[in-house]
Amino acid sequence: MAIKEKLKHIFIETLNLEGVTPEQIKDDDLLFGDKFGLDSIDAVEIVFQVEQHFGVKIRDMKEGRPALQSVNTLAAFIEARQ
Amino acid sequence: MQIDFKHRLSAHCESGVSSNLLFHYGVDISEAMAFGIGAGLFFGYLPFIRINQLPLTTFRCEVGGILKRLTRKLGVKIHFEKFRNPEKAMAALDRSLESGIPVGCRTGAYWLPYFPSAYRFHFNMHNLVVYGKKGDDYLISDPVFPEIQRCSQQDLVKARFAQGALAPKGTMYYLTHVPKDIDLRGPINKGIKEICHRMLKAPVPIIGVRGIRFLAGRLEKWPRKLGKRKASLYLGQLVRMQEELGTGGAGFRFMYAAFLQESAGILKENRLLDLSAKMTQAGDLWRSFAVIGARNCKDRASESDSFGAMADILRDCARKESEIYQELLTVVKLERHGH
Repeated sequence: MAIKEKLKHIFIETLNLEGVTPEQIKDDDLLFGDKFGLDSIDAVEIVFQVEQHFGVKIRDMKEGRPALQSVNTLAAFIEARQ
Repeated sequence: MQIDFKHRLSAHCESGVSSNLLFHYGVDISEAMAFGIGAGLFFGYLPFIRINQLPLTTFRCEVGGILKRLTRKLGVKIHFEKFRNPEKAMAALDRSLESGIPVGCRTGAYWLPYFPSAYRFHFNMHNLVVYGKKGDDYLISDPVFPEIQRCSQQDLVKARFAQGALAPKGTMYYLTHVPKDIDLRGPINKGIKEICHRMLKAPVPIIGVRGIRFLAGRLEKWPRKLGKRKASLYLGQLVRMQEELGTGGAGFRFMYAAFLQESAGILKENRLLDLSAKMTQAGDLWRSFAVIGARNCKDRASESDSFGAMADILRDCARKESEIYQELLTVVKLERHGH
């Protein structure tokens, strides 16, 4: 599965995005904000899942914060580090 | 009016502002180095200080402490000013900008219009640099944003005079003297020593390594003492302090690890590389605590994600960090004799 698709499935499963389908998560949707109701506490889970599924650690938030904007930015971050 | 100020993205506001202000005057030190020399690392569980009516847990030193200690150790002079009157505070800011001086301001992040709503909460310790003015908008180098920001006078007044715990009271600061040649070795040693003493020999049980153990004991009892809802709110505040302030969920431990790594090269001391790796491991432990905490806050916890399990991780953090500071003390003691 491509990184972006895998990310969308992970978000739905681990962040309890009830009633949301992968198709409804657009690649450039902002992850944190009104659409999915996610906040900074969810960022902890996302960082953890990225490490578990892709082996990519996000330790420096100077890099991590811009990466956690959308599926697009996160996929690019993962791709660059795999 | 616009000062030629280099905006550099940082993980955390105060260390980022410190590093960027020094860079403006020709001192090129990284954010991690500013944090380490400024002895920013800390742990304190302070239930008598309430933020949003919830007890404060802090992973960094007092507000402004990094900047004060960093500048003092480097021989840099800095001018701090607080105000009661917003008009006078803005006039003082304008005067400094007109003199070509970039100004650090302490603000309430909630009132800064460029903060995305998901990241907005009442946090009155946010630092930024104002480096110019265009029309009614101030030009802001906010180190936790990749791009330069703009903020209207009205919003900046609100942010500088935000109400609530640790209100900024219009605090602004700027550098007044920067020495030409700075040797980082002495300041690094002093910074490390300060952290070790603070974390190992704090006189009260809620600070340092003892504080981490103290919190473990309290946290374990939260569900029984406070009920599920309130326990979850307490935990949420704790995880936010760990994560939201740009520390990657590790309560500044990753940043301190980066400082130790950089210091190993400057002091030519390989043991600091090993200790940097251990501090990264401590950061990973803190992060695993934050993950379980986040799951509990968001009702996603499994049976194994209990408060007891979190307390055990905290005790592991305390043990690991205690070993690191004890080893660090032996390194800086030897360094002092070596120079």
